[in-house]
Amino acid sequence: MIYRWLKHASICTVITLAPQIAWAQQASLNVVATFSILGDFAQEVGGDRIALTTLVGADGDAHVYEPRPADAVALARADVVLQNGLLFEGFLTRLVQASGTSAEIVEVSQGADILDDPQGGHYHYYGDRTVFHAAPYDPHAWQSVANAKVYVENIAQAFCAVDAQGCSTYTANAQDYIDELAALEDEIRAQIAAIPEDRRVVVVAHDAFRYFQRDYGITFLSPQGVSTDSEASAADVASLIREIRAQNASAVFAENISDSRLVEQIAHEAGLELGGTLYSDALSGPDGPAPTYLEMIRHNLSTISAALAVD
Amino acid sequence: MKMFLLRSSALALVASMAGGAFADEEVTAWRLFVSDHGQAVVTVLDAVNGNVIDTFDIDGPASLYRSDSGETVFAVQGSAGAVTAISTGIAFDDHGDHADIDVSQPGLTGLVVTGERPSHFVENRGQYAAFFDGEGLARVFTETDALAGASELREVDSGAPHHGAVIPFDTSDIVSIPHPEDPSNAPVGVRILDRDGNQIGDDYECVGMHGEAVSGNLVAIGGCADGILIVRSSGGEPVIEPLTFTDRLPQGRVSTLIGGRGLQYFLGNFDASTVSIIEADAEEPFRLVELPTRRVHFAVDNVRARFAYVFTEDGQLHQLDIISGDIAQSVRVTGPYSMDGHWSDPRPRVAVAGDSVFVTDPLEGKLHVIDAASFEVTGEIEIEGVPFNIVSVGGTGIVHGDHDHDHDHDHDHDHDHDHDHDHDHDDHDHHDDHHDDDDHDHDH
Repeated sequence: MIYRWLKHASICTVITLAPQIAWAQQASLNVVATFSILGDFAQEVGGDRIALTTLVGADGDAHVYEPRPADAVALARADVVLQNGLLFEGFLTRLVQASGTSAEIVEVSQGADILDDPQGGHYHYYGDRTVFHAAPYDPHAWQSVANAKVYVENIAQAFCAVDAQGCSTYTANAQDYIDELAALEDEIRAQIAAIPEDRRVVVVAHDAFRYFQRDYGITFLSPQGVSTDSEASAADVASLIREIRAQNASAVFAENISDSRLVEQIAHEAGLELGGTLYSDALSGPDGPAPTYLEMIRHNLSTISAALAVD
Repeated sequence: MKMFLLRSSALALVASMAGGAFADEEVTAWRLFVSDHGQAVVTVLDAVNGNVIDTFDIDGPASLYRSDSGETVFAVQGSAGAVTAISTGIAFDDHGDHADIDVSQPGLTGLVVTGERPSHFVENRGQYAAFFDGEGLARVFTETDALAGASELREVDSGAPHHGAVIPFDTSDIVSIPHPEDPSNAPVGVRILDRDGNQIGDDYECVGMHGEAVSGNLVAIGGCADGILIVRSSGGEPVIEPLTFTDRLPQGRVSTLIGGRGLQYFLGNFDASTVSIIEADAEEPFRLVELPTRRVHFAVDNVRARFAYVFTEDGQLHQLDIISGDIAQSVRVTGPYSMDGHWSDPRPRVAVAGDSVFVTDPLEGKLHVIDAASFEVTGEIEIEGVPFNIVSVGGTGIVHGDHDHDHDHDHDHDHDHDHDHDHDHDDHDHHDDHHDDDDHDHDH
């Protein structure tokens, strides 16, 4: 076998996609939000100054999203791309590369109060060596309304950085929305306070509510890890059933982004009723109960409260 | 263990190390598996330096399919009636923020699935279905079993010998429907069977059914007179719906499909010198791209997700921009390979490994190497015999140093997330483009 490399030619052609930035002509900012909750925040802040594209739409699961060529086109045209970060959007790096976009990629969870994930790692064994792999943060930070305020502030800053003329509008919109979020937090605390303390343990399909747990005092058990990308094993489920009994969990909830069969099985085996559907990583469609972030949190709160109310 | 230590650096993501420890290393390894048009042999090459790593004798000339994980290559030997599993020796373990790579010698695993005239080979949801045309049934197994060298084969029977396919799902399978009057004609549709062979729901018409591919969580089934079928997964089970040609399209048929990776799309033929970029949910789901001459082969680029490559009979390789739908660059690679003659005559095939595109040149006994960025021919590798089918596996991962590993949990939240989460470890010609590798995207 003969192997030889030919000389590289001196002329190197690199194809790049020129982003079709048109905001100056259209008097609006082209914004891409990676998933529906960020899209809602962006719309609240940007109002009618922005043209918004949301990649993972209503009831969609960003953990396992497969981006399409049309998404790459949207990125190429964007002025600002809003992502959660914390390894939530596993598809984004490749999509940014494919699109050739020059837009600002803004990680809106920056500065939020992020949970280290004590269970987000695992050991590997290589011969006599042990290697620990960490998945260091829980990405579902928006389930804390306090964090949602940080998201909104970051979005306003990102818009101001690209569209200085609209900055006063973005800032004012953000402040109005943050005021609504503050009121929402008061509602949450009041409703949770009405739930007996011994009934504040529930079960969901994946670990999406640990920020809600931290900030508001409802304990969520789940059979899966943080990402819906990993299937729960039979051992996980058996362990969870034991945990449900040990902690005297009061209700099991389906999630809008997850197959409900697993939690239905868990509810059956644990002798619990399915308490309804919670919205974790995505909003509902416009006709559903959670088309906006505010409505999503209120829906989750009322669903939990109803299921945990004393009979 | 043979490793290819191309680059090593003290990466920011790696461990807090105990005293005397070594840094973790970034390792890149790519391998090419090449079959011969007439000989029962598979040659394994190091795609980085062109050296032969090993050569495996099998039972007959083979079409090659790589697994989604890249850990296994399957040699489907239609004339010899065998499907042979080869361990590639490259394995990744994805950890979200990085992937570990383990590189070892390739080898025959010991699994050889036998039967009459194996043809279409499909991987879906962790299962492989090798369809045996001569028996009209598929034998289904998992990669774990394939690598272990033994498997309890699950059989899915279509009812009659024909040129068909089976697509496995979690508790059911999509099965081609043989032509009711003459099974030697193309199938007339598909149906869903449960694990006991009982039909679920109605038949789905697709007269002329041929070709299937997977892209993410979507499956496409080709060959229908009026379009293709799209299969979505709902709770691990198939939901089938037609994707019909729109009125503005000229006469055509999509009977050879490959699936995009990194971007969700399908690349199909349409007519002899036109390919179609298919997006199931787009306003115009079929975008046509005209080629200068007839198509010989195509492959998707999973490293650079926006590109695919089409080889045409005039000896040119074309870089197809999936986003714009244009041919971005072209380069002449071989002499002419006319599509006249028998469909199974030896003609070039394409695979992507790292920063290079490899094209087999059967009549010259060579692989040509094309730089994926400059799109210029940068090298060639001479191979004995008639190199024909080619698949690649590999990518870049981390090999952990010899230390008591404990990841640093004190990451600053401001850490850079620009690492390649998906990693480039999957060239992913999608192994279900076997019909294309066989170049039997013809009317049966």
